[in-house]
Amino acid sequence: MLVPYLLLGAALFSLGLIGFVTRRNLIIIFLCTEMMFQGIIVNLVALGRYPLDGRPTFDGQVFALFLIGVAAAEAAVALALVVLLYRHRGTLDANAWTALKDE
Amino acid sequence: MPSALILLLVLGAVGLVLAMPGGRTDRGRLGLVALAAAGGVLVFTAVNLAAGERGLTLFIVCALVALFAAVRVITHRKPVYSALYFVLLVAAVAGLLIGMQAEFLAAALVIVYAGAILVTYVFVIMLAQQARPTLCDLKAREPFWGCLSGFALLTVLAGQFFLGTAAPLPAASPAEAAGTVEAVGTPLLTQYVVGLQLAGLLLLAAMVGAIAIARRRVTVEEELELEGEA
Repeated sequence: MLVPYLLLGAALFSLGLIGFVTRRNLIIIFLCTEMMFQGIIVNLVALGRYPLDGRPTFDGQVFALFLIGVAAAEAAVALALVVLLYRHRGTLDANAWTALKDE
Repeated sequence: MPSALILLLVLGAVGLVLAMPGGRTDRGRLGLVALAAAGGVLVFTAVNLAAGERGLTLFIVCALVALFAAVRVITHRKPVYSALYFVLLVAAVAGLLIGMQAEFLAAALVIVYAGAILVTYVFVIMLAQQARPTLCDLKAREPFWGCLSGFALLTVLAGQFFLGTAAPLPAASPAEAAGTVEAVGTPLLTQYVVGLQLAGLLLLAAMVGAIAIARRRVTVEEELELEGEA
């Protein structure tokens, strides 16, 4: 059962990557990074449950917990940035910020 | 690499390109049909790969729900609906974790992601809500090249899973216990206690940073000006 879980994790990661590069709404872009985290969590837990050397440990689950903490920190900072950017331009379009300077 | 997997990848890529926002509605429907066909091929592949294994039904149901929700997150034109489909994705991933006997992690995922992070997302979406769907939601940026690069990555990863495993894949050890709070918490508080402290520090720094970034004094004059515009 290891390979199906790894395939699903890879699929979630790739879908998140596709959304990250194609969507233009800043909030959706950050939502897609969270989607990539979901794929990685599935991978970590699957590799902890079906380890290659045959000794299952809980290290994968512990690492996934750390990942959830990092995702929470990322969401807090990213959404604060989105709110700040929205106040400046009044739009969530990532294309409005291609110049990276304030007129 | 089985040919069913190649068919799955091609169908998924074509369907996703057609379903991205920006195209015509009938093409979007066609894309969803292609993606549904890809889901059917996925069920077939998974049954072939892991026939007779315990927990296969739960895996297939949760995987289909997760992939459907993930596709809708990146193709839906309304950000609020994207966020709600992400909640569905988190629920499906929690189901997958339960299938791998990671019960505590599944509960933590639902509480932290669906309960806390997504509420913050929905809150910000409401805060920055525009009356009509804007151009940045209606039109994707380079959907063809984005899908091509994403599915190229997925193909390479999937190919590695099949080419790189000459040795027989391990089965789950039957003696393994469930991922209870005790089983996960003991290594967390002994072996990884430094990491735990660092995670706490990171969360504190993120909280201070978020407050510092989003704080901005709005004077009374500006407030009146904004009200006058509205």
